Amino acid sequence: MRIIDLLKKEAISLNSPANSKDEAIETLIGLHDAVGNLSDKDAYKAAILAREGQGSTAIGEGIAVPHAKSDSVKTPGLSAITVPGGVDYNAPDGKPSDILFMIAAPLDGDLHLEILSRLMVLLMDPDFCAKLRAAQTPEEYLSIIDAAEAAKYPDEAPKKEVKDAGYKILAVTACPTGIAHTYMAAEALQQAAEKMGISIKVETDGSGGAKNVLTKKEIADCDAIICAVDRNVEMARFDGKPVLKTSVTSGINKPEELIQKVLDGKVPVYHADAAADDADDSAEKESFGRKVYKHLMNGVSHMLPFVVGGGVLIALGFLIDTIAGNANVGGTFGFTHPVAATVFWIGKAAFAFMLPILAGYISMSIADRPGLLPGIVGGYIAANGFTFKSLIDNKNLVGDGGAVSGFLGALFAGFIAGLLMLVLKKAFEWMPKSMDGIKPVFIYPLLGTLLIGLVMLLVNPVVGLLNNGLSTFLTNLGDSSKLVLCIVLAAMMAIDMGGPFNKAAYVFGTAAIADGNTWIMAAVMIGGMVPPIAIALSTTFNKSKWTAQERKNGPVNYLMGLCFITEGAIPYAAADPLRVIPSCMVGAGVAGAVSSLFACACPAPHGGIFTFAVVENPLGYIAALIAGSIAGALMLALLKKNKEKKSA
Amino acid sequence: MISKDFTIKNKMGLHMRPAQQFVTAMGKYASDITIKCGEKSVNAKSIMLLMSACIKCGSDITVICDGPDEAAMMAEAASMIESGFGEE
Repeated sequence: MRIIDLLKKEAISLNSPANSKDEAIETLIGLHDAVGNLSDKDAYKAAILAREGQGSTAIGEGIAVPHAKSDSVKTPGLSAITVPGGVDYNAPDGKPSDILFMIAAPLDGDLHLEILSRLMVLLMDPDFCAKLRAAQTPEEYLSIIDAAEAAKYPDEAPKKEVKDAGYKILAVTACPTGIAHTYMAAEALQQAAEKMGISIKVETDGSGGAKNVLTKKEIADCDAIICAVDRNVEMARFDGKPVLKTSVTSGINKPEELIQKVLDGKVPVYHADAAADDADDSAEKESFGRKVYKHLMNGVSHMLPFVVGGGVLIALGFLIDTIAGNANVGGTFGFTHPVAATVFWIGKAAFAFMLPILAGYISMSIADRPGLLPGIVGGYIAANGFTFKSLIDNKNLVGDGGAVSGFLGALFAGFIAGLLMLVLKKAFEWMPKSMDGIKPVFIYPLLGTLLIGLVMLLVNPVVGLLNNGLSTFLTNLGDSSKLVLCIVLAAMMAIDMGGPFNKAAYVFGTAAIADGNTWIMAAVMIGGMVPPIAIALSTTFNKSKWTAQERKNGPVNYLMGLCFITEGAIPYAAADPLRVIPSCMVGAGVAGAVSSLFACACPAPHGGIFTFAVVENPLGYIAALIAGSIAGALMLALLKKNKEKKSA
Repeated sequence: MISKDFTIKNKMGLHMRPAQQFVTAMGKYASDITIKCGEKSVNAKSIMLLMSACIKCGSDITVICDGPDEAAMMAEAASMIESGFGEE
């Protein structure tokens, strides 16, 4: 119970003209009635006058507190007046009363005692009374009471303020895969904000969908929004707010810097319309490489579930066939047993969407929604090897097996489709505004699809040749060359852990599965599993090399590594890249080499330890993982400097 | 200095009217009077301080009188409190 909760602004009348006790009482009752505290004004007045009849409620020093407990009180409350010069209220000290509070309390309970007690605590202070006498507006009067109450009862006030203030800063984090970075950036931002005493809410747009989603009200109330994203997130909702766009890695590595930038007001206001029109302008600030990377990652991240779901189902087909004793059936291994065939072909159905989705979402990242359709169609044509010749000769939707441009063609289709749509948008700017509605539902789909189709029918034979050549080259590699390739691919996985090198090697590996070169995937996967485990080993056995925070997060890295989530190594690598990355590369390279020497092969593109059941020569593969992880940990022990004793 | 414990009996507690009577009555004496109620300890010759202690029905209080006429003061205080200030 606080005075300012009981005293409404409308129940305050300053500099009242009342010149008698009766007039003052009349005014105070009128105020109670006006704000709806009373159910029966006359009954309440009778109770007040009865109380005054038993003795004046003036207490001296110019203060009077008329009060009544009555069932005519609907809502407990206060009314207040100040009377310049005061009125004669039969005060014990004989002085006129100029500060009057009237208490309306229900019959039951001790509420009026509590209100009286609190009023006395406040009114005892002569400075407080002087301020009340000088107040010119009800708002000022209330703020004087609020300040005094907050000072006398400090534990009550602050809670409400926090609730009303909302979040000062909002943030969105999103990385291409949406498994690790997204959440690491969110945690880093939260910790930094806490350290700096700033309230923050972070939305994580991960692979499991957006969590902790920002509400409209929070967006409206916040100072600014930090977008630490490596793929496109919904931006239109931030229209008109200061938005700081940056990469997920800066969210992880320099959260304080980002928050400070926001606090300094160095963040431009985001305009959804302008962003669409001036895409080239704002994009120029990002390097060309980063733009390409972002578009590519948008495709890869949307493709990944298809690869994982389809890949594991296909692997399951192999597993079931192995259990069913069909390991040696040759070309139909994986779909000989009925159950195996069922899961295998469901997996294949998912795989069929891999390249269209990759191309579609690359294109969408470049040209927004109009880009999706031509991208998907372009990817589909790339995946099926359609050419002018194959369509005309077959008089059907049949491709040329030799002209499947595959994953390279799909990448190409995605980028070309996106650029094509940007050009189309420009080309149709001359159309009147009234025709705007027809563009995305008719003109863009029609022309976009036709153009990307024609382009891909031309490109397919060319890229197809290149792709086939590469596959043939890989397949024909001798044992020693295979070893080199495995080492290189595995080491690439450890260079940037989720960045372009890593993804290039990974996409190469998944593409190789489709071509049957599962030993490549084995090297790629083991290369991606080693870095987090090597770091975890090092944090366990070489504690002096790491900060307390790094050691605490160490155990999680065992799990991340086993699940082939290379991203777990990033915070460690980012903190000391020149020593951690080479160590991880060496470890991964050793693992790739061992995997190759033991002729391990992995038919599933994701899943880490869960796919070991379907890996060829699992013991050799485990040996590769252990050897690589130990090698990486030893390199870390060798290269990394000891932390100062203080932090240990 | 003498002190004595009481329990407030009247239903309304030590509201303003009995408090004023009490303060007026105690003002006659030269001694100091302090009432302890819970954690609060107030000068019972000041109506504002006495009201600020928020003494309700059933509250346990300690009355402390200190001065030349402390015995007479305590006697009157005790009779007022124990009679419920003339209330129910």
